[in-house]
Amino acid sequence: MRTGHYKETYGELIALSDSGVAWAWVAALAAALVLLPLLVGNYTLSLAVSVLIAIVGAIGLNLLTGTTGLISIGQSGFLAIGAYTNALLATDYGWPVWASLPAAGVLSGAISLLVGIPSLRLKGLYLAITTLAFSFIVNYVILYAEPLTHGPNGVFLNDTTFLGLDLSSDRGLYYFVLGVAVLVTLAALNLLRSRIGRAWLAIRDHDIAARAMGIDLVRYKLLAFAVSSFFVGIAGGLMSLQIRFINIDVFGFLLSIEALAIIILGGFGSIAGTILGAVFLTLLPEAIRIVLSLFVDPQAPAYTKYIYEIRGIAYGIVIVVFLRFKPDGLIGLWRDVRKYFANWPLAY
Amino acid sequence: MSVLLEVSGLSKRFGGLKAVTDVSFNVERGQIFSLIGPNGAGKTTVFNLISAVLKPTSGTVRFDGRDITGAPTHSLARLGIARTFQNLAVFKHESVVANLLVGMHTHLKSGPLSAMVFWGRTRSEELRARERIEKIIEFLEIEDIRDATVGTLSYGLQKRVELGRALAVDPKLLLLDEMVSGMNQEEREDIARFILDLKEQLGTTVMMVEHDMGIVMDISDHVCVMNHGVKIAEGTPAEVSANPAVVAAYLGTRREGVLA
Ligand SMILES: Nc1ncnc2c1ncn2[C@@H]1O[C@H](COP(=O)(O)OP(=O)(O)OP(=O)(O)O)[C@@H](O)[C@H]1O
Ligand SMILES: [Mg+2]
Repeated sequence: MRTGHYKETYGELIALSDSGVAWAWVAALAAALVLLPLLVGNYTLSLAVSVLIAIVGAIGLNLLTGTTGLISIGQSGFLAIGAYTNALLATDYGWPVWASLPAAGVLSGAISLLVGIPSLRLKGLYLAITTLAFSFIVNYVILYAEPLTHGPNGVFLNDTTFLGLDLSSDRGLYYFVLGVAVLVTLAALNLLRSRIGRAWLAIRDHDIAARAMGIDLVRYKLLAFAVSSFFVGIAGGLMSLQIRFINIDVFGFLLSIEALAIIILGGFGSIAGTILGAVFLTLLPEAIRIVLSLFVDPQAPAYTKYIYEIRGIAYGIVIVVFLRFKPDGLIGLWRDVRKYFANWPLAY
Repeated sequence: MSVLLEVSGLSKRFGGLKAVTDVSFNVERGQIFSLIGPNGAGKTTVFNLISAVLKPTSGTVRFDGRDITGAPTHSLARLGIARTFQNLAVFKHESVVANLLVGMHTHLKSGPLSAMVFWGRTRSEELRARERIEKIIEFLEIEDIRDATVGTLSYGLQKRVELGRALAVDPKLLLLDEMVSGMNQEEREDIARFILDLKEQLGTTVMMVEHDMGIVMDISDHVCVMNHGVKIAEGTPAEVSANPAVVAAYLGTRREGVLA
């Protein structure tokens, strides 16, 4: 049993993980991720890129909704801002990706303060509806600000490179997105073990007590919006790099539901859970496709026509089932399993 | 001794209900000051006014020589006022250590960028915070539950965690609202001992609302009695318990007297 382990230094106490086993798994995972492009084809690789992008976006949402308790269903709006910022800066203004991608995050973070300010007074459902309305407004602005955004015509991305990596190749893009996802994951883990992450959790659990401990609610809620939307904006920028042509149809309401489903499936407030949730949910349509192809011809028009609806239904089922039966998500399930085997063969 | 907290003419109305009416008292540095009174007397409301959870209808609160009436709630921890709540107000999904660390919030400085990198200043201040938290854990004798999720602990232990979180603020004035209610006799004695140790070792000024008359009479330096929102008596434990108005107030609400 891994209980009652003894720490010798305070450094061990604040480390991300004190377990050698955990670090060994991380090392194995890192090696597998680096070698992946040598092992699989382009289609699988582009699925992996989708998973990594979903991780970045869902980590952003989880900081706001899972950690700080501010429910947002406006994710698609911030993804759109990030994607358009990156695409337009790159295509129309010739910015290199090392500048346009951070700019996508910064602009998304800055605009989030517009939603963040009403959030100081709104809670729960009211805030959720505000964020939803916001995402619709973003879509309208993009559609009608044609001189700036190309409106309904959408934006094509030029070929870009980063430090010699060709981002228009599957392999180059994979390594680039992997690097960003790793940085975002580390940044989020670090935030959560700092005073800032603790302040967010305190606000979620008991806002009056949080204030009595000296936490300025206004400041930390706005910070949660800004940091969360910064990461979501980056995810949007990465989406534009992957799909190469963006228009407003890409950023539908389903994206917001997908992001919410990921963090509910993974477990509120948990970064490891978010990663699990993103992997499962991004691969879910793929699994559905494979299962359906056993029964119907995947080229059949009925299939392609309804795939969007099928995905929506699948996300809905995931949300309802997990909220009802496993509110702490896959990561909670994992903890239960580990606890069970720690005590095995003795029952609790 | 000098005055640390000066409450004057404090009143609070909730609509038509006068919860607190024209209450004044001084708390001296290093004192254990008890605020007592029957249920609904307005004690918690006085705490909420001092700790700026509520804004007074009229009156002033001065702390450490400055007027803090109407100050934002979150500014008080930095000035040196920490409190616990009558109803548990812990962060119940977090570990004991995480709860205590929230109490250190105002002593830590790192901003979002340095927190994301978690190196240099952030790392060293987190180390220092963790070290200080260990001292509090030791003081409160909760070593064996430091990694437990607070919501899973017994009521008495959760209260103790809440006390620890307030201590992490390193307060000059500690406000304890019915710390021992719901605790067994042994836990009550522990808390009484902690409060005395705080006073003697750190010189912390403690203001407590308490229904346990045994503890009030044993450890208080000064007692203030309220009933129906007004102050009815004030003095040493002996003076207060001999006061006919106090005895009457308690007899009016319960069969047994204050000294029963
Ligand atoms: N937020 C509020 N809104 C309306 N009325 C309130 C509020 N807080 C307290 N009151 C009322 O003010 C009066 C004083 O309440 P308070 O909680 O201060 O009493 P107390 O002395 O702490 O009592 P107890 O010993 O039961 O904790 C009560 O009548 C209570 O119902
Ligand atoms: Mg009370």
